[in-house]
Amino acid sequence: MMRLLEYKSKEILVKNGIPIPSSVLVSDLSHASFPLPAVLKAQVPIGGRQKAGGVVEVQTRQEAEAHLQRLLSSEVRGHPVESVLIEERVETTREFYLGITVDTVAKKPIAIFSTEGGIEVEETSKKNPNAVLKRHFPASTGLPEFRAREMISQCGIRGRLLLRLSATLSRLTAIFTRYDATIAEINPLAQTADGKVIALDCHMELDDDALFRHATLASLSQKSKQQKGHSEKGDFEKKAAEIDRLDQRGVAGRLIAFDGDLGLIIGGGGASLTAFDAVLRHEGRPANYCEIGGNPSVLKTKELTKLILSKPGVEKLAVIMNIVSNTRVDLMARGVIKGILESGRVPSETLAVFRIPGAWEEEGFKILRKYGVEYCDRTVSIDEAARIAVEKTRGNL
Amino acid sequence: MSEFIQIEIDPNLCAGTEECGKCVTVCPVNIFEPGSPLPGISETNEDECTLCELCLQNCGPRAIQIHKLYED
Repeated sequence: MMRLLEYKSKEILVKNGIPIPSSVLVSDLSHASFPLPAVLKAQVPIGGRQKAGGVVEVQTRQEAEAHLQRLLSSEVRGHPVESVLIEERVETTREFYLGITVDTVAKKPIAIFSTEGGIEVEETSKKNPNAVLKRHFPASTGLPEFRAREMISQCGIRGRLLLRLSATLSRLTAIFTRYDATIAEINPLAQTADGKVIALDCHMELDDDALFRHATLASLSQKSKQQKGHSEKGDFEKKAAEIDRLDQRGVAGRLIAFDGDLGLIIGGGGASLTAFDAVLRHEGRPANYCEIGGNPSVLKTKELTKLILSKPGVEKLAVIMNIVSNTRVDLMARGVIKGILESGRVPSETLAVFRIPGAWEEEGFKILRKYGVEYCDRTVSIDEAARIAVEKTRGNL
Repeated sequence: MSEFIQIEIDPNLCAGTEECGKCVTVCPVNIFEPGSPLPGISETNEDECTLCELCLQNCGPRAIQIHKLYED
């Protein structure tokens, strides 16, 4: 997914009639004029910029120039800051959350509204579920204003505020469909002292497969990648990508590094996400996310195993896949065991769990038995396999 | 070195690469190499053997043997 920088998302909001604070985008220490007091916002494609030091409030021009210099020569969570949005600081009386995304279970777009903006909507959902309203709408039409009013009025909001909020929500659903977005979020949408509403921050991601319909925005993505030289990938991810290119068979290399102690080799028809979430649910600490499937060669699986085990802090390895049909269990077992052996480790001690049921499983289980590895067949769920892996990594099993 | 699969060609039975060489052609994972006079075995590729047995089916004199080392 292509995440638009905040300033670009806000340009789209303005074009579609959603007000934003007055601002100026700077990429050097030029003599641009800007309102004070102001908020300096590093333009990097990540959330949580404030916590990471990428957003600062300033009162004076000297203060602004000092922070501007610092921001433009720094990185925010690994992303070099190439431009900073200097925005007027808006006094707010209340903040709301507006979000549009795709409900993958219902297979429909969904509009989300919360009376508690400024913080992550997931947190609000947990603590105060009544403060979050959700409504599906057809992708072809968006959410008409009268439907948005019906929705928001359930929170007891009335009068001009209701009209302004529902108009903004309706326009955001139109933006979502028009730009082929996968997420369009205004958080917070602030109410000002004079009763108007204004979008203080906006997060938009566009569907990569639809970028051909948005040539100007797509070219921004290309430019950004060229400038960075794909620096968003670390060495670990780069080495994994090289492994994936070793031969054409299957996928064994799409990795994202984390700081945990449990290496993951996971995949199979979306099971990588299921397995990863299950490890987190059982309070495990993944060392990586990974996608494997399509019957990769023994060589690729072996090299991937070695790479994950070479990561500092990795104690154990969990191999978890859905029931496989085109990936062979025995070839996976060969790759994983060989990788462990070539890493100088003992398979029975290193493998916290091996749960790949499916094609050629009998042959695969024979291999695992020879190396004293306990394996799980299809009677053990992905969730249970993740629990076993987490418990074994903690030394509880 | 192979860890799981070992493939052997009986030199007394094999007709040789020039006269036959079918194993070199049919193997989907390039385990057999076109050596002279007999085909060679790529040790680095042996563990890629998919146990498809195309080599066994195409070897007239039955010179090829596949050993699963994990069954020993």
